[in-house]
Amino acid sequence: MQQHERRIVRIENIVKDFRPGFGLRVKRVLHGISLDVNDGEIFGFVGPNGSGKTTTLKVLMGLIRATSGEATILGHSVTETAFRREIGFLPENPYFYSHLTGREILGFFAKLSGVTRGRRKARISELLEWVGLDHAADSRLETYSKGMLQRLGIAQALVHDPRVVFLDEPMSGLDPIGRVEIRDLVLRLRSEGKTVFMNTHILHDVEMLCDRVAIIVEGRIRYQGVIEDLVGSGLHEVDIVAANLSPETVLELEDRLAAKLRGVGERVEIRVAEKEVNDTLRCVLAAGGEVVSVTRHRVSLESFFLSTVEGGSEIGE
Amino acid sequence: MKSLARIWTIAMNTLREAVRNKLLYALLFFGVAVILAGVVLSALSYVESERILQDFGFAAIRLFSVAIAIFVGVTLIHREVERRTVYAILSKPLSRAEFLLGKYVGLLVTIWLQMAIMVVFFVAVSLVTGAPLDAGHAAAFALIAAELAVIVAVATFFSAFTTPMLASFFSIGIWALGHMTRDLRDIGASSISESVQSTTALIHRVMPDLESFNFATEAAHGLAFAASDVWLPLLYGVGYVSVLLVAAIGIFERRDLR
Ligand SMILES: Nc1ncnc2c1ncn2[C@@H]1O[C@H](COP(=O)(O)OP(=O)(O)O)[C@@H](O)[C@H]1O
Ligand SMILES: [Mg+2]
Repeated sequence: MQQHERRIVRIENIVKDFRPGFGLRVKRVLHGISLDVNDGEIFGFVGPNGSGKTTTLKVLMGLIRATSGEATILGHSVTETAFRREIGFLPENPYFYSHLTGREILGFFAKLSGVTRGRRKARISELLEWVGLDHAADSRLETYSKGMLQRLGIAQALVHDPRVVFLDEPMSGLDPIGRVEIRDLVLRLRSEGKTVFMNTHILHDVEMLCDRVAIIVEGRIRYQGVIEDLVGSGLHEVDIVAANLSPETVLELEDRLAAKLRGVGERVEIRVAEKEVNDTLRCVLAAGGEVVSVTRHRVSLESFFLSTVEGGSEIGE
Repeated sequence: MKSLARIWTIAMNTLREAVRNKLLYALLFFGVAVILAGVVLSALSYVESERILQDFGFAAIRLFSVAIAIFVGVTLIHREVERRTVYAILSKPLSRAEFLLGKYVGLLVTIWLQMAIMVVFFVAVSLVTGAPLDAGHAAAFALIAAELAVIVAVATFFSAFTTPMLASFFSIGIWALGHMTRDLRDIGASSISESVQSTTALIHRVMPDLESFNFATEAAHGLAFAASDVWLPLLYGVGYVSVLLVAAIGIFERRDLR
């Protein structure tokens, strides 16, 4: 029971087929994905563009219907509507009625969410300040920049003080300052005890923010768990700096050992998985190359991610 | 109760959006201009100039109201999905049925308001030229309002699942057919072929019988009428709108919004 309570979002074996055009051709976008989000965590749903993150979120928001499988939020089937009082949603590249001002649109969403009249005004002013839009509160949305719309989108998602917040690419298309601002907002949400489900393809944000992640590639979950487990799970990489390498040797290293090479002046930096170190060194030396240095380090999320995407192998749980 | 509040919130926002839409004013302007032009036209006529004025005024109100209803109605739902404004809205505790009904009510209130403005001009030119105004005129306006409720429902219905282009094509088609279906049935009934008879009767049954809302001639010519001439069509309108909206909700609820 306790265990059940802690699971805020449950997705079980969701399959989603799209039928582009009028034909009978079916395009499977989600291949039976399952994941859980626990109470109070920032959950990162990570994957390259087109991997199915937005589609998954649309299923959760009841905007599209899963072909099969089951999804619940706070124990309610996602096809219900009343429980949405408890959730907030920031769509990808949010767009709102441009004929309204920031304050008006928040008033509109507050009414829809059942925020009482007495609470409304104060809540809206509080939120506008919270997301740093108080100066633009009475301007129409057509004058808003992308970053301002994004922040308004977050305010809109929070207007009824929900327990769970779903954010689709909250940092995309923002300048570095805008990204830091949104990041701070997300951290404040957690400090207020909210659960955050965040779609993103920006790994840096995941490393900075998320307690747990699921990695999705081409509609399949490749990994689900804590980031520390992922990047500190004994998976290590080794950087070898070598000199005097011929182009043929470079090619062989790339092809045979899946090494990642980077030119550093006259030298070449070779990044390989730990188990390939001996083979790599042998190859370099045999070709008449010279080893300058060898450094072992933990796998970064980025290189883990890249290897997952490229290799397509099932890793983790 | 809460549900009504949500529908009303959507409706009032739809009205507010329409009020800030400049194209609506252009159409309204033309409608009023045509009503005023009726004064000139009737002045040129020696006989029945008051009737010509009012026939003209009724025609202007009906045509321009229907034009606005179809013009705005066909984009009503489609645009919300296309522009993705619907995503944040439907993530709130609001059902798709409430959303669609709110959009419908909002547009209907908009159309009725602009019709009211044209009616004000109709009454004004009638008073200025000394044309009669009586209960028949009130009945005619009520029935035009009912026809508009049906037309807005037709446009909303198509807007729930198809593009504005196709929706306007179908809506205009139904509007035109809706005004012919009575004559079609009567012509069909006099046919010797039984299948022609039943087909035209079926078309009359399925299509909205929009001529039943046409009370303009009676009003402009001051003909006598019974109360049932008014409330029966009104009841028919309410029934027709209900069926259309239930169908629209049924389709919209099953749609993937992507
Ligand atoms: N409405 C749609 N019809 C057909 N295919 C779609 C539709 N929406 C998305 N897709 C496809 O589904 C896949 C996943 O898309 P999406 O969920 O938007 O990915 P992400 O959010 O991870 O970038 C993509 O290949 C995309 O082309
Ligand atoms: Mg996406």
